[in-house]
Amino acid sequence: MVRRKGEKYKKRRMGERIGDGMLWAFMLGVCVLCLFPFWYFLVLSFNDGYDTLYGGVYLWPRVFTLDNYRQAFAYPTILNSFAVSIARVLIQTLVSLIFTALMAYAMTEKELPGRKGINFFFFFTTIFSGGLIPSYILYRQIHILNTFWVLVLPGIFSFYNTIVMRTFFEEIPESLKESAKLDGAGEFTIFCRIILPLSKAVMATVALFVGVGAWNDWFSGAYYIQFNQKLVPAATLLYQIIAEASFKVNNIKTGSNIMAAGQDSLATAATTPESLRMAFVIIIVTPVICIYPFLQKYFVKGVMVGSVKG
Amino acid sequence: MENGGRSKGLWNRIWRYRMIYLFLIPAIIWYAVFCYYPMYGLLLSVKEFKYSLGIMKSPWVGLKWFRNFLSDGQFYLVLGNTVKITALKLLVGFPAPILFAVLINEIRSHGFKRVVQTLSYLPYFVSWVVAAALLTKLLSPYSGLVNDLRLMMDPQAEPIFYLGEPKYFYPVVILTDLWKNIGWNSIIYIAAISNIDPNLYEAAEIDGAGRIGRIWHITLPAIRPTIAVLLIMSMSGILNAGFDQIYLLQQPSTLQVAEVIDTYVLKKGIQQAQFEYATAIGMFKSLISLVVVVSVNWIVRKLSEVSLW
Repeated sequence: MVRRKGEKYKKRRMGERIGDGMLWAFMLGVCVLCLFPFWYFLVLSFNDGYDTLYGGVYLWPRVFTLDNYRQAFAYPTILNSFAVSIARVLIQTLVSLIFTALMAYAMTEKELPGRKGINFFFFFTTIFSGGLIPSYILYRQIHILNTFWVLVLPGIFSFYNTIVMRTFFEEIPESLKESAKLDGAGEFTIFCRIILPLSKAVMATVALFVGVGAWNDWFSGAYYIQFNQKLVPAATLLYQIIAEASFKVNNIKTGSNIMAAGQDSLATAATTPESLRMAFVIIIVTPVICIYPFLQKYFVKGVMVGSVKG
Repeated sequence: MENGGRSKGLWNRIWRYRMIYLFLIPAIIWYAVFCYYPMYGLLLSVKEFKYSLGIMKSPWVGLKWFRNFLSDGQFYLVLGNTVKITALKLLVGFPAPILFAVLINEIRSHGFKRVVQTLSYLPYFVSWVVAAALLTKLLSPYSGLVNDLRLMMDPQAEPIFYLGEPKYFYPVVILTDLWKNIGWNSIIYIAAISNIDPNLYEAAEIDGAGRIGRIWHITLPAIRPTIAVLLIMSMSGILNAGFDQIYLLQQPSTLQVAEVIDTYVLKKGIQQAQFEYATAIGMFKSLISLVVVVSVNWIVRKLSEVSLW
């Protein structure tokens, strides 16, 4: 009896082990799929452009060079574009954090007269919106089209971020607020001295969301800034460079890669447009890739707190 | 409600919360300008817009623009594509993160679990412009990786221009959507799973439940409310199809299957400056989404007492 039970147990252990093996294999596959495209571009961006055209470069550069990056940083408006992007990320993140935190804190006040109505006023915008054209006309009417502000103002609030913050604030014990109130502290003091210092995790989370969103947004730069290349953010510059390339591919369709390279406005003696584009991609993703793993513990916690209440 | 609140009257209570209202003022102004004013701008869909006259004073034209797009064959094509892409994405993209979260939870090594999670979030943090650039190279007919692999296995194979052929468009869209979002969308399920009482698993193990049994009888039932809420939320994007992705992956040769409402509105509205016509289509889309979210929320609430509001 005992022996049989042991065998059954052993059998199950075997089953679990095979299961574990399959799980590891699958997850390693997932890791490769997520990482490899970036690794591939990194390799190609360090490989000589004309050598890349022969194909066969996958895991390691064959003819190592820094020319692609040299050419990329020599691209006429690139430094300007990065300056715009950095300014945009900093300003939008800062302004967004301050006002979202104030709003989220106010929404934790359960007894606030009119709370339900105010809540609905904000929530309704997530299920119904005016859409693209009315927004475009608004930007034109308030004269922010083709200015820096069209890159910053429309992205300041997000209902989702507010909910993440509000849920976090609600977890802070009410007694802390109560005792501060007894000591005569006003709402603003409580907010600055008690709530904010306890909320670093959620602040980091929302800062990451807003910052990455601002860094990655190519659309505003492409459609709301039209006659001012000086204000084009880096993400939009990348879009312009790639859109130009795919237009070329479409027009040529047949014909060799080298021919296509020769007709491209980005072609230079030192490198090909394709390799230059890869250097651009790597330059633009590097800041994001370097930052998010360090904030992972915060955003996992931030989202987690929100998920408890759905 | 509170001590003496009633006798002091509403004004006193409002006065007491004056700082809170002050905190809300920036948000209220922003929402009024950037969300509600564009809703008022939907009036364009029944006007002949003259920029100099403004939205209100422009002449009314009734349902002209709605009649126009409802009698436009192109519109039905675009609507059909939008519905197809959204349906496919829901069908594949909604259950996938749930499955992924369950599998992540089954990894016993903490280090490996963390590595998998970190790497699976990576695609979410890059923009679609970058994703499209990666994909264009990987699928390129000129020494792109996928075509190279095909050639290695079969030297006779003709290179395929995946992004230029309509029949490959939906698979590419679904797979890249999965690649970009599966890790990120699983976070919330992983969080929900980590809240499950470990005793339940131990009890199940003693009762002789295997791995599959534990997943089926404990993990999945426990995260059902989370699944319900996310399902309702995904309904608000029912006609979204994913603007960035579709717009960046479509080519003139695939427009027949790749043009969706959002990209069509952009082209008609901003590129061709047919403001009223594009607004009418956009409004049609917004209204449908609203109706769908409200009804799905109602149905789910009837069935499971979970709801968004």
